Amino acid sequence: MTLNLCVLTPNRILWDSEVKEIILSTNSRKIGVFSNHAPIAATIDIGILRIRLNDQWLTMALMGGFAKIDNNEITILVNDAEKGSDIDPQEAHQALEIAEANLRKAEGKRQTIEANLALRQARTRVEAINAIS
Amino acid sequence: MAMAALRREGRRFAPMISPRPITALRSSPLAPSLEDECPIGVRYISTQVVRNRMKSVKNIQKITKAMKMVAASKLRAIQTKAENSRGLWQPFTALLGDLPSANVKKNVVVTISSDKGLCGGINSTSVKISKGLHKLNSGPEKETKYVILGEKAKAQLVRDSKKDIELIITELQKNPLNYTQVSVLADEILKNVEYDALRIVFNKFHSVVSFVPTVSTVLSPEIVEREAESGGKLGDLDSYEVEGGETKGEILQNLAEFQFSCVMFNAVLENACSEQGARMSAMDSSSRNAGDMLDRLTLTYNRTRQASITTELIEIISGASALEG
Repeated sequence: MTLNLCVLTPNRILWDSEVKEIILSTNSRKIGVFSNHAPIAATIDIGILRIRLNDQWLTMALMGGFAKIDNNEITILVNDAEKGSDIDPQEAHQALEIAEANLRKAEGKRQTIEANLALRQARTRVEAINAIS
Repeated sequence: MAMAALRREGRRFAPMISPRPITALRSSPLAPSLEDECPIGVRYISTQVVRNRMKSVKNIQKITKAMKMVAASKLRAIQTKAENSRGLWQPFTALLGDLPSANVKKNVVVTISSDKGLCGGINSTSVKISKGLHKLNSGPEKETKYVILGEKAKAQLVRDSKKDIELIITELQKNPLNYTQVSVLADEILKNVEYDALRIVFNKFHSVVSFVPTVSTVLSPEIVEREAESGGKLGDLDSYEVEGGETKGEILQNLAEFQFSCVMFNAVLENACSEQGARMSAMDSSSRNAGDMLDRLTLTYNRTRQASITTELIEIISGASALEG
């Protein structure tokens, strides 16, 4: 039984092919999805998506969205996503440092919330690179 | 209007010049502009006048050709974006369905139009459909409000439906369109407008010559629950187990907001593509018209020139023969 995964962002289709298994982090917990899973509609937090194709694991950084699992078809709609292999390690580490600095400087509720969000996104991207290596 | 008058003048000079040039003055009451420019006593229209007309028509032709090429390049840029965003709203339709016939109390019609003109009839069709939806959904218990994006729809709808307009947003395309901007916009609309159903009216881009006015419907979570009970596509919604740590209601709310912003993003991109495509074809037909007009003016110019030469020759020859004979 083949599991088909589709990862869509507003700007492009990031992934549209078959996989063996995925590990998705929803707002409450991480779930692993094999073929013939029960139908699920889930919200996705800013985190990592792991994809397994034939004993090889790939990571993708997702920036929040929704997932629908139904009849061996997984559809993931997110605000933004990046494949682990596409992220430049130098740039990701720099972004993380900048985000941490911004958080320390942030004043007021709104800036703190924005800085927190940016920090989580930067951290996810760094995790995505580390996870493959 | 000026072009039509010009065409009339061009046709009138043909019969005037050949049989009886003396009646030229009397038979041009409808060509005031050319009459003003010819001094009384001249039996034909001066070639200078026709040459000026030809120069201005040629300039117009150059401008419209340039506008067409600019529109074509803008279309290429935005078309790839629009096609990429199409994949995004299809899962929503697969999950929640698109129910234009949902009977709800508070309808909001979101009309998407362009800011600049010279783009053919696409804005008028959008406004016509919005007005139609308004009429369809107004009644004893129902009401419809407008949210307007773009100057052209604003100009048309402000005239007769001013009290029904909730929000007007213009100058969308000042910066290149991206999802963040549109999702902020969608957020604003959702915050400020009460709705049971949002109907987005835009022109879907099928090809460079075909733009189809379309309506996408996004229902509020309560209406989704209501329709789910009555079965059909949404009835399957209950078969989904919901993950995510929050209640089903909250998740549906988030889902509806995300759906609205994705559908808006796609609608805005498609409308921008349709605008550029319509402008291309409008400017193309305009350049072709200018070319036709230029041909007619060239014929008039040549006839005028030849008539004046003939008249001069006749005068010289008759003068010479009078002297001899």
